[in-house]
Amino acid sequence: MKLSAIRPIALMLSRELMITALLLLGVSFVVFIILYLSPGDPFSVLLEGQMSTTEARSGLREVLGVPKTWHAQYLSWLTGMLQGNFGTSIRTGLPVLKEVLRVGLNTLVLTIGSMLVTLALAVPIALYSAVRGTNSISWPLTMFSYVVSALPVFWLGYIVIYFFTHKLGLFPLVFGFSSSVQKFGWLYQLLPIFVLGIGNGTISEVIRYLRDEMGRVMAEDYIRTARAKGASVWKHAFKEGFLIPVTEIIASKIPFILGGAVIVEQVFNWPGMGRMAWQAAQDRDYPVIMGIAIISAVLVRLGSLFQSVVYVAVNPRASKE
Amino acid sequence: MTTGPLLKIEDLRTYFYSRSKQAFIRSVDGVSLKIKRGETLGIVGESGSGKSITALSVMGLISAGPGVISGKIGFKSARMQKNLLQDLDEYVSLAIKDGKIMQLSKDFAGWEKNSERIMGRVRGKEIAMIFQNPKSSLNPFVPIGKQITEAIQLHTSIKNEQKAKERAIAWLDRVKIDSPRLRFENYPYGLSGGMCQRAMIAMALACEPSLLIADEPTTGLDATIQSKIVELLAELKSELGVTTMLISHDISIISRLSDSVAVMYGGTVVEYGPARAILAADFASKHPYTTALLASIPSERNIREKGYLQAIEGDVLDTINIPPGCRFYGRCNRVTAGIRENCAFKEPDLREIAPGHKVRCWLYFD
Amino acid sequence: MMKSYTQISGEIGELSKLPFWKKTDIVDLAYVGYGLFIVTLVVISYILGSFNLLPKDPQDINLDLMIAPPGTAGHLLGTDFMGRDILSRLIVGIQAYFLPGLLAVFIALFFGTVLGVLAGYRGGRFETAITYFTNLVDSFPRLVLILLVIAAFKPNIYYIMIVVGLTNVPVVSSHIKGKIQFLKQKNFVEAGVSLGLPTGTIILKHILWHNCRSLLIIQATIGMAEAILMETSLSYLGFGVQEPTPSWGNMVQAGANYFMQGKFWLSTAPALSILFTILGFHLLGDGLNNILEGKRGK
Repeated sequence: MKLSAIRPIALMLSRELMITALLLLGVSFVVFIILYLSPGDPFSVLLEGQMSTTEARSGLREVLGVPKTWHAQYLSWLTGMLQGNFGTSIRTGLPVLKEVLRVGLNTLVLTIGSMLVTLALAVPIALYSAVRGTNSISWPLTMFSYVVSALPVFWLGYIVIYFFTHKLGLFPLVFGFSSSVQKFGWLYQLLPIFVLGIGNGTISEVIRYLRDEMGRVMAEDYIRTARAKGASVWKHAFKEGFLIPVTEIIASKIPFILGGAVIVEQVFNWPGMGRMAWQAAQDRDYPVIMGIAIISAVLVRLGSLFQSVVYVAVNPRASKE
Repeated sequence: MTTGPLLKIEDLRTYFYSRSKQAFIRSVDGVSLKIKRGETLGIVGESGSGKSITALSVMGLISAGPGVISGKIGFKSARMQKNLLQDLDEYVSLAIKDGKIMQLSKDFAGWEKNSERIMGRVRGKEIAMIFQNPKSSLNPFVPIGKQITEAIQLHTSIKNEQKAKERAIAWLDRVKIDSPRLRFENYPYGLSGGMCQRAMIAMALACEPSLLIADEPTTGLDATIQSKIVELLAELKSELGVTTMLISHDISIISRLSDSVAVMYGGTVVEYGPARAILAADFASKHPYTTALLASIPSERNIREKGYLQAIEGDVLDTINIPPGCRFYGRCNRVTAGIRENCAFKEPDLREIAPGHKVRCWLYFD
Repeated sequence: MMKSYTQISGEIGELSKLPFWKKTDIVDLAYVGYGLFIVTLVVISYILGSFNLLPKDPQDINLDLMIAPPGTAGHLLGTDFMGRDILSRLIVGIQAYFLPGLLAVFIALFFGTVLGVLAGYRGGRFETAITYFTNLVDSFPRLVLILLVIAAFKPNIYYIMIVVGLTNVPVVSSHIKGKIQFLKQKNFVEAGVSLGLPTGTIILKHILWHNCRSLLIIQATIGMAEAILMETSLSYLGFGVQEPTPSWGNMVQAGANYFMQGKFWLSTAPALSILFTILGFHLLGDGLNNILEGKRGK
């Protein structure tokens, strides 16, 4: 790529980065407001938790006091977060960020894996129906995707667990995240990925979106030109008909899959952010769940940023708009 | 050198099934045309007359679901000879009752596959096509130079990237694009419509096809740019002698470039012959529709003689419910008492009235 | 042999013998029909539940008849681990989401319409602000946001539904905005203004009532599906209605252990209720969309 071509892209990306930062600031504010409005004085507890050591906590509070006004509280909390200090868990007393990041990797594996499963199912169906239209194969598949999208993911989890433990006898009947000690440990870890990939409730929407976009692009004049000159239609339709819509769908479905992870992690005892969020909500351990809300918002925004990068890199017009 | 016409269309019929009307739209209904080597055949007619569908049928670009094509398209170049509609009707099954088709089903996938197999080595290499609205006809995600290079690498012996690029730049220069080296890197959105059409022409001709189909090449362009594109086509025609099927609703463009002309109306050819005979200034021995088309050209002579421009009255033919008689009967202003019955109830055939000049009109039959 | 199609008559009635899924209008009607059937069933069940008109008392514990399979005399869908009638509990379970779901739908439609009108009619800064708001709301996984609210306040279904409603606002407002911008393009609004109609009349009567009505109905059905999904998910996770009050989610959860023992019906009956109900609302929304908004329009 030429230097002159990189400049507008860099400009465009710095703009996207700024928007991302602004949105994350908004995210933190929404989280703050929810907690600020809640009864009691949870914020003082939170800010206390942000102080470095137990000694300092008990000592400093008396000396400095916790900020009283709402903006002082917000600023104090935000500064702490920006330095990587999300406070400590009320239940365990451990630092929130470290705990969330520790289990966050598991959730990331689950989320990315499920996304791939969803796409692996949706893309072929979408492409097939975009090219062939409604026929005796694509119609039942579309209908099936509707049913799958309405499937309660926890029940799907039960069916899968029952099938693999009872029918195939692959795992002992223990509800729990199996360690690698087990013979089929790796398979057991794949199950939640498949269950969430199928049951996250977005499949029919993903199929419809990809099919419509692909169909729209296939009807474009420039695809007719590609056919007329004997070139590969797929090659010409790839960017607008596949790459852009797929990245768009990935970015926009991340929050849904993260939400579904809360349930699937619960069903499979998968030690991830979702299960931690569930536990935290049970214990009203709000420092933890605030951390999780913010980390998942960061993930969502990163997905969005990724989509913008792909769009700008692919579309020559984007950097001019 | 092979003999005979390069392209010979025989009784081409392209019907589309309209789901809402539950009937066939007979877009092209029995068209027979010939294009000799080095000749430019102009096809003229209103929108909906079936001229573009004829071109798309030749290119095998008719993909609409339940549509059928029948007839024969014989293509015979120095490199190959085949019927472009070979075996297509094997993928259509009919249920005939009392001589009428009651049911028709089409194996869409098989049809498509067969069409791709036949057209695979024809499209781009043997027959190239340029379209209207050049801006949307070029891939907006690929620099124009790359799109030309791709065609060259696909269809000529030049496979080397650098050499293909040089060739593409030479072609950009040949279609009179300024600073072709710079333009090579440009995306279609940065170029004007005229520039895009030049690039399209360069892309089509870069593979040295035996036949060029130009489907409304000036539609969607500004008037001044239109005339420049026509000039370019005329120049290329005299320089390269490329055989061309030129399609336009604009009879002045047809008259500028064509050696022979086919006038289409309602899915059929109503007049066919040498350009001189058909586009001659005198209105005698012509199909009334051709006469009307000529009278609608905004030329000095037409305005001086009539004081106004003549529009063709009436609507374009509904190609679902085709009337039994002449397709132009409802709009014709030259029906005489003697032939009225024929015009209304019997469709005339395309008959030769002078050497090479055929007309589909009862006026000229005894 | 070459086939000839020349004798194809103008009209071929026989081609209408297409497989039924190709007749998009009939498929859409079937979608809507199924959806309306489900909606009616839900509403009737809700009313029956409100007046306690049930086959059995849903709280009636019968330790002699625990985990009876479906079809047991007097218990069409069987009984649960305490011998309670599953069918009755399913009907009563609708109470858990019906009114809260309506609240969520109302919030989404009301605020979505207000914001959509502002963005579409006024445009400019409003539009930018609403785009940011949309992106902001879309940044949170909905369930995580709800868990945050639960941790900060209490696991109250109405609080949860307020969050569900608010997170649905952007979808509604973007549809309304799109519609208004489309109408503006067609000089629809200018026409109204030049006729001297007051802005309120143009927006309320001509834009919202005449042009956005069907859109709002469609959004309401989709919003209800979201609300049911959220309620069942949360009561499954133990944050919604608590035992012994039944809700579809906590019924699935309570039946989990029995499911693993091969006694599927305890979890499966409520799970299938969730499945068919959400499917009904989805199909109703899509069918109405295809018919009223003409997305297929070919």
